[in-house]
Amino acid sequence: MPLTAINLASAPLPSQYLTFVLGEEQFAVGILHVKEIIEYAAMATVPMMPDCVRGVINLRGAVVPVLDLSARFGRGVARVGKRTSIIIAEVAAEADDEQRGGKQVLGMMVDAVNAVVEIEPADIEQAPSFGTRIRPDFIAGIGKCNGRFVILLALERVLSTGEVVALARSMAEQEREHEHAHEHHPWPA
Amino acid sequence: MSVQAIHNLTLDGEINIYRAADLKLEVLAALRRAPVLEIDLAGVTELDTAGLQVLMLAKRTATEEQRELHLLNHSPAVVDIVEMLNLGAFFGDAVLIHR
Amino acid sequence: MNLDDALQTFITESRELLEDMENALLNIDLAGDQSEAINAIFRAAHTIKGSAGLFSLDHIVAFTHVVESLLDAVRDGRLVLNDEMITLLLSCCDYLTGMTDGLAAGRYDADPDTAADGEMLLQQLRRHMGMESEAPDAHAGALAVQPEPDVERMGGDAGDSDYWHISLRFGAGVLQNGMDPIAFLRYLARLGRIAGMATVADALPPAADMDAELCYLGFEIAFDSNADREAILGVFEFVQDDCDIRLVAPRSKVSEYVELIRALPENPARLGEMLVLCGSVTAAELAAALAQQSQSETSATPDHSADIPPRLGSILVAAGQVAPVVVEAALNKQKQVVEQKAQENRSIRVDSDKLDKLIDLVGELIIAGARASVIGQRLHSTELQEATSTLSGLVEEVRDAALELRMVKIGATFNRFQRVVHDVARELGKDIGLAVDGEDAELDKTVVEKIGDPLMHLVRNAMDHGIEPADVRIAAGKPARGMIKLNAFHESGSIVIQVSDDGGGLRKEKILAKAIERGLVDADRKLTDAEIYNLIFEAGFSTAEKITNLSGRGVGMDVVKRNITALRGSVDVGSSEGQGTTVTVRLPLTLAIIDGFLVQVGDSVFVIPLDTIEECIEFAAEPGQDYSNLRGQVLPFIRLRSLFHIGGAPTRRESIVVLRFGKVRAGLVVDTLLGEFQTVIKPLSPIFSEVRCISGSTILGTGDVALILDVGALLQAVDGKGAALPALAA
Repeated sequence: MPLTAINLASAPLPSQYLTFVLGEEQFAVGILHVKEIIEYAAMATVPMMPDCVRGVINLRGAVVPVLDLSARFGRGVARVGKRTSIIIAEVAAEADDEQRGGKQVLGMMVDAVNAVVEIEPADIEQAPSFGTRIRPDFIAGIGKCNGRFVILLALERVLSTGEVVALARSMAEQEREHEHAHEHHPWPA
Repeated sequence: MSVQAIHNLTLDGEINIYRAADLKLEVLAALRRAPVLEIDLAGVTELDTAGLQVLMLAKRTATEEQRELHLLNHSPAVVDIVEMLNLGAFFGDAVLIHR
Repeated sequence: MNLDDALQTFITESRELLEDMENALLNIDLAGDQSEAINAIFRAAHTIKGSAGLFSLDHIVAFTHVVESLLDAVRDGRLVLNDEMITLLLSCCDYLTGMTDGLAAGRYDADPDTAADGEMLLQQLRRHMGMESEAPDAHAGALAVQPEPDVERMGGDAGDSDYWHISLRFGAGVLQNGMDPIAFLRYLARLGRIAGMATVADALPPAADMDAELCYLGFEIAFDSNADREAILGVFEFVQDDCDIRLVAPRSKVSEYVELIRALPENPARLGEMLVLCGSVTAAELAAALAQQSQSETSATPDHSADIPPRLGSILVAAGQVAPVVVEAALNKQKQVVEQKAQENRSIRVDSDKLDKLIDLVGELIIAGARASVIGQRLHSTELQEATSTLSGLVEEVRDAALELRMVKIGATFNRFQRVVHDVARELGKDIGLAVDGEDAELDKTVVEKIGDPLMHLVRNAMDHGIEPADVRIAAGKPARGMIKLNAFHESGSIVIQVSDDGGGLRKEKILAKAIERGLVDADRKLTDAEIYNLIFEAGFSTAEKITNLSGRGVGMDVVKRNITALRGSVDVGSSEGQGTTVTVRLPLTLAIIDGFLVQVGDSVFVIPLDTIEECIEFAAEPGQDYSNLRGQVLPFIRLRSLFHIGGAPTRRESIVVLRFGKVRAGLVVDTLLGEFQTVIKPLSPIFSEVRCISGSTILGTGDVALILDVGALLQAVDGKGAALPALAA
């Protein structure tokens, strides 16, 4: 059930961003990446995947994976609140992926979605190499908006399939080693 | 009005497929004007198969209808074709070879 | 018809014809009756030539013409087919395929890069036919050319004429088609000297009937020239569709002129006159020949006639009969061949994109139908439920019919290997044959397309490393000829493809040693034979002593396995030392839609492919034990809750779904059984590629997403862990 559908038909300027809240911080992503925003609803979980992958949802017949941004940023699994929403984003597929049309659609689970704002390139500063509480390579820049600082996300990095897959792989390996160590009882109770 | 014994017809320019249909009507009409038709070909710059056919038809029709048809003053273009196709005997005219 | 469409059709049909040619060539029994095969091959070449001519694809026409000539000679018995010729013809097939591919890529003339190869092939073809000519045959369109007539024993002296005799009858429409016969004659005159000319105006109708824009003229020409037949015919290339052309070579027997006269529509006496007028024959020769002819006839007929026999038309000259436009006849014949083929198949071509779209829509239909059913249940409306039940039934039938469209027989893929085995065997210098079984087994077209390469590699591998050299085989008491066998059949919802060879088999010790050396296994691990053999699929593994050209170059068995796994299949190898090796590939029948069975564990719903389920039983097992008793047999099981780390407590009455995949049988412990459900497989995002036991997802009637279990992977997990358990009864 879409809350709002961003109308991309009016050729948005690259300086438009969708802002949202995660924990106590404000983040933003370029409007061009945003396909739609939907209410949070319980979703099917996929086993043997890291916490940052919350599960999959049915988006008008397509099965779309949803990332838990809080977990992705290393802050633990998100708690579902009243305003929890899922931002459906589209990013370019990575080089070694075989994707249709080179694009990937993924959902991001956030605490609340705020407004679309305009941030001029002049008002964007480079990310400091320390001091922020998330990985520096997730940050595209720091923008100033209405007197407040907003962290602009490097979406391709945040939603990187390759990283998540690597995480899943190491999880699986750990699991296998764990089992080898427990030959007689392969199944934890 | 006196009936002329010989009718003259002058053909100029390109005698080819584009004019063939009209030419046929023209030549046959001319043929029937008088017992003898003379066609002057001095001004013929080009003759193709369609044009030639019309002339051949005229000749044959003339023979069938006991008329006479003479081709005169063959231009080089006409001479060339009459010679190549060995039609001298067919038309029965003296072909003057111009220089 | 749009030229592009027509050309596309030509390309597609040519490819099919070339495939047929190749198959026929490979299957020719040199010792037995070849006539059917030869005819088929000839027809294919002939059809390609004719169609290429319609598009003025001269390079294809010229090449095919020579091939056709060779085949014609074989057909007539003038040449005997041998192994060398077959290989040559196969190469010609390849060359033509190359030209067709070039055409598809937009190249409408000969490719200079491969022209040398083509020239070489042509020379070899000519050599077989006993012709040493250097000049390629350039003009071989559908001309109305009279072939050298059969020699008749009359008028037997060779003629004196040193000239070619050219007989032309232009078609009525030639002028309207923009051609001028006189222009062609001028052009002809450039090749030589017109020694004699007679204009034939017999067809010119009376004035009233004459249409000035139609052509009624013909010509009989004596032509003095050193040009050969092809060159002369080439003069009339552009008008070949609109002109009847007959050639009589210099120094031909008078009888041939007689034949010419007979073939022409005009009064023979007039024709005779004209020939004499041309100087092609002398009056005396002609009179004598004709008299002789009438003599031999008068004995047969009551009608005596000293003049030229009136029934000239009754003596048929082989090809000269088709008067107006022989081209039409040739075209008709080609059409016939194509129609014949079409009738044999009774099928139509469908764009594969359209087919995919149809399958997608059917998928959506299924989901929508499921949703309707759910609503019917929720509303407790019997009427609605009945209606949705009918709907579901119909949708299921539509689904099956749509999927049927995508199923193709594997036979076509298998047959490609005949050529591969033939060529590779020659390359290796080994004598290897191919036996094929189960060609009628059907599988999804996308699977067929993707399985070709892995299978190819398996076959080459078997030929290269599996089959021993002839002397080794004989020493071992085996026939010198090695056999590769391809087999396909259906089994529990999958299609099984086996590639076996009767070669030396896999050497266990060698494989194990290599694996240990490469660090793929620990030296003290105990592995079963099957596990050892399957080590060859590990990355970085190759035990071939020499890396031969074929299979050792970086494409290993691990790539084969990866390709097959990508198709949701599995691959296994079994072997018997000294006797042979069999690689078994298992693939799902379709990648789009499956019949599923829903189960629930906690809040999660999973789909199990129905074909893998043998039965469902109540959960019963001793605490701590991971196996159950199934009518006296041991059934190991997997607790799905544990495997997937699903939280919460299990329900009181759990169930076991008994699964079978290949030879492995195991149970799956779940909370609830939810029933059958036909599902459309939605592929999972690549972000889930590491999740082994899930093969896809689907959308339920409720709109929720359910994950589809990969039973093969699941059971493999059991197998690996089941070392401590008693062996399964298969």
